[in-house]
Amino acid sequence: MLPNNEVRVPRPRVVQSAVPRDITAEFTDAASKLHGGQLVKDEMFTLFEAVGALEIMDSKMDSGYIAPGENLAQALEDDYDVRQPLTPEEVVGLMDQLLCHEVAWHKGHPLSQTLFTSIYLDRLLWPVPRTMEGARFDRVPSDSPLVGLVLRAYCLALVKSCDLVHARVATEYYYEEEDFVSQLYNRNLLSAFDISQFHRLLDQAVAWVGDQTDIDETLKQAIQSRLLFRHEFLSALHQDLEVLETRSTENFASCIAQLEPLLESVSLGKPVPEAFSLKIQRKLASTVPPRPMVNISHDDALAHMKRLCQDAIDMQQMLDYCGPSNFKTAVWTLLSRKPQPSIYIRCLLQALIVSNMTILGAVPVKDFLYDDLAELVLPASILLEANTDDVEMPSDPRFQIAQKMDGFLKRFAQPFVDTVRCACMNRCRIRRTICHTIVDWDNLQMEAEELDLELRTLSAEPPLQFQGGEPTWSFPLSSWAYNQKLVHFRLILQMGFELSIYSPEELPGMYWYLSHICSTHLGHIDRIRTFTVAARKRDLMSAGTRTGGSLQKASAFHKSFHALERLTTHIVAVDAFAIALHALYVVLARHNVLPSASSSQAYSSDRLRYEIRMKPFIPITLPELVPYDEYKREAALEGDSDVIILERASKAITEARKAWEATLANGAFIDDPSAPNKPAPVAIEEDWKRDVKDTMRACIGTSLAIEAVRKALAASSSENKSLNLEVVVPEVGSKTRWHDWWVVPQVSEKKSQA
Amino acid sequence: MNAPSELRYVRYDNSRENELVPAMRQLISKDLSEPYSIYVYRYFLYQWGDLCFLAMDDKNEMVGVVVSKLEPHRDGPMRGYIAMLAVREEYRGRGIATKLVRMAIDAMIERDADEIVLETEITNTAAMKLYERLGFLRSKQLHRYYLNGNSAYRLVLYLKEGVGAIRTAFVDPYGPPPPVPV
Repeated sequence: MLPNNEVRVPRPRVVQSAVPRDITAEFTDAASKLHGGQLVKDEMFTLFEAVGALEIMDSKMDSGYIAPGENLAQALEDDYDVRQPLTPEEVVGLMDQLLCHEVAWHKGHPLSQTLFTSIYLDRLLWPVPRTMEGARFDRVPSDSPLVGLVLRAYCLALVKSCDLVHARVATEYYYEEEDFVSQLYNRNLLSAFDISQFHRLLDQAVAWVGDQTDIDETLKQAIQSRLLFRHEFLSALHQDLEVLETRSTENFASCIAQLEPLLESVSLGKPVPEAFSLKIQRKLASTVPPRPMVNISHDDALAHMKRLCQDAIDMQQMLDYCGPSNFKTAVWTLLSRKPQPSIYIRCLLQALIVSNMTILGAVPVKDFLYDDLAELVLPASILLEANTDDVEMPSDPRFQIAQKMDGFLKRFAQPFVDTVRCACMNRCRIRRTICHTIVDWDNLQMEAEELDLELRTLSAEPPLQFQGGEPTWSFPLSSWAYNQKLVHFRLILQMGFELSIYSPEELPGMYWYLSHICSTHLGHIDRIRTFTVAARKRDLMSAGTRTGGSLQKASAFHKSFHALERLTTHIVAVDAFAIALHALYVVLARHNVLPSASSSQAYSSDRLRYEIRMKPFIPITLPELVPYDEYKREAALEGDSDVIILERASKAITEARKAWEATLANGAFIDDPSAPNKPAPVAIEEDWKRDVKDTMRACIGTSLAIEAVRKALAASSSENKSLNLEVVVPEVGSKTRWHDWWVVPQVSEKKSQA
Repeated sequence: MNAPSELRYVRYDNSRENELVPAMRQLISKDLSEPYSIYVYRYFLYQWGDLCFLAMDDKNEMVGVVVSKLEPHRDGPMRGYIAMLAVREEYRGRGIATKLVRMAIDAMIERDADEIVLETEITNTAAMKLYERLGFLRSKQLHRYYLNGNSAYRLVLYLKEGVGAIRTAFVDPYGPPPPVPV
């Protein structure tokens, strides 16, 4: 089905000065020559414009439409009196309803369907107030301080919190309507006013409530906790990027502390539904059809708020740069939390990850890139040490190396940082973006190869010779780029599982392909390691003549070997698990017990479906696309008996369990010996551990499934019957889907029909 | 209730717009929170009326409709697109939608389509099953694609070999974001 939510923001039109003339007669004449339904459009009229069009005078599309007999004033205005006194219960009810709307807005719904349905907010914000005093519900203030002071202070502070969220999100990269709707409908969220003014009002309100003797104590506390939450939330949001300096989690922690009593007192509130109205939409924007109010539950709203605050607190654990691997792991792990951190957190993180070509406000992008190169391919290498400032003779190879590396930096820094920052997008967009950027990385790898050729002459790199073969060189920069690309290949596949892209009958093939990519990757890491070992040997041999910096060099090599080892362990774990699932699914498919989404009457063939699946990889030069026939043979394990395949599955899953154990033991982060006193990012590490443990649970599930199939197979061969198995492929989010990336079939004995 | 055999499947006829389009809109709008404007219908029907098929009951009432288009996708493959599919509630579960979609696909194949794509709401399992039975594959998930905040799957069917390798021009609107200014 077509979406009908094209952004309906009026486009700026070029206004040309022209002399107006009446064309009614000409128009009528031209129109009379058309058939009903005939479309008159220019070349530029697209489907998007057709979808974005509104039909005037259709009540479902035209928000300004007034039905015959409808009173204009009644159609547009509500007769709700914003000055009427409210009970404390109603004030609590209103505050909580506003919070629900605020969270719905955070979650991506437009203001027109959420906060801007509030008559109180509408009155505060229109006409646009020029002063804080002018921001009130009515020109004549309410006689009730509960309304004029308490509710007003709460509403104003809420609007200001929205202003701070809006400012951060709108500055960063996000997808309009997918992640967030930035439309303000010509209202201003009090952006001109300093938060101290809001704090003062909140303080006054808190004090006034405290002084009241005729309000029940529990209600007083309920109102106060809501005001205090606003106070703290405002401070927390105001901190914004300054968190890099303040490193304070205090405000967000206080928010969480206030959310506790807030949750407990929700039941005290009395809803005031008449204080919210859809009629306001008619005044907001004429280009949007009327749309329903979005209602989310108090529990959902408070849970979302709490997560937002907790994510903001935990985010602080990654603000110290501790090397490229650790940084990348922390970013990915935090942003992979479920549910995904809110758009505010994701945008804040984007800005913290990199702004002004600086990582976390402290590390130049160059250092980050060079650290990554050093860790993977170039420990203690002249390529990274050469510097045009130190060597000024243009004829010196070191000068030329430095120049080439500067060129590399200019070309690669941005795409490299983007691979990290990409994690801030919504999950669907991450996968879609990587599907496109692998093509860029394919090109980058080729460019890097050119540079490698030039650099190896300048650095006089001696080649290696394997078993009398051709001399080969390390190609460090392109090796690094290739590694990057292989990581992306794996991510596309794994996120495909996460986003439920693959149908059940594709699972054998997709896990085969995952293991194929892993083994390619492992081969590549072996190649890198071989050259690093050789470089280290050369280094030690020449150390006899030079003594300076040998300790530092040893440490750089050690770090690199360690990183390669960790990477290897991890990919072995993924590979082995993929091999096991591949084998298991092959047996299930062979015996026709694996469910299939496609039917025998389908239009497509397996070959065509393989082509769709490989679409992102078709333009990639390396690794080469596996031709369909080869894929079919390999993925179906043609020629292997069931017994052999199940044996393969058992062996692989045992290896996978060991490798995941080892991965867990290696930990999320590499210890930084240069900073032993830095606090570990415990909260993020916990997420990472949980993820690995869930994977291990999925391994155990796979072992059980393999055993169940083995038993059923033995039974069927002795009785010469078909496999008596029922296979369920658990959906993402279901209890038996232990991990989003690992689709473990639930295999059970089919209940007898008798 | 009518037996499926009493249904007639017909191709849309632009000369009968006045009678057919209102019925079509009524049928389709039922499932939508916000209706499509008349321009959306005309956009498809005037250009690709022959790719629109209707199911009519014995009283000549419309009970099912499929609306689609077919054109080169960014100077690349000839891409069919199934835009709308609706079957009146009390007629569901009889294979009417499948029949309509098959008619549209067959018509597109006749007109040399390379591929067919569409989107369907993640929660619409019936539609997803229908298309997947016909051989469509999910190629991507589209986050919060619909007004109600629901996500969608893009479903794709290749009809010829080599379609995946056909290069397309211009920027894919669902492609990568432009570089972020730093």
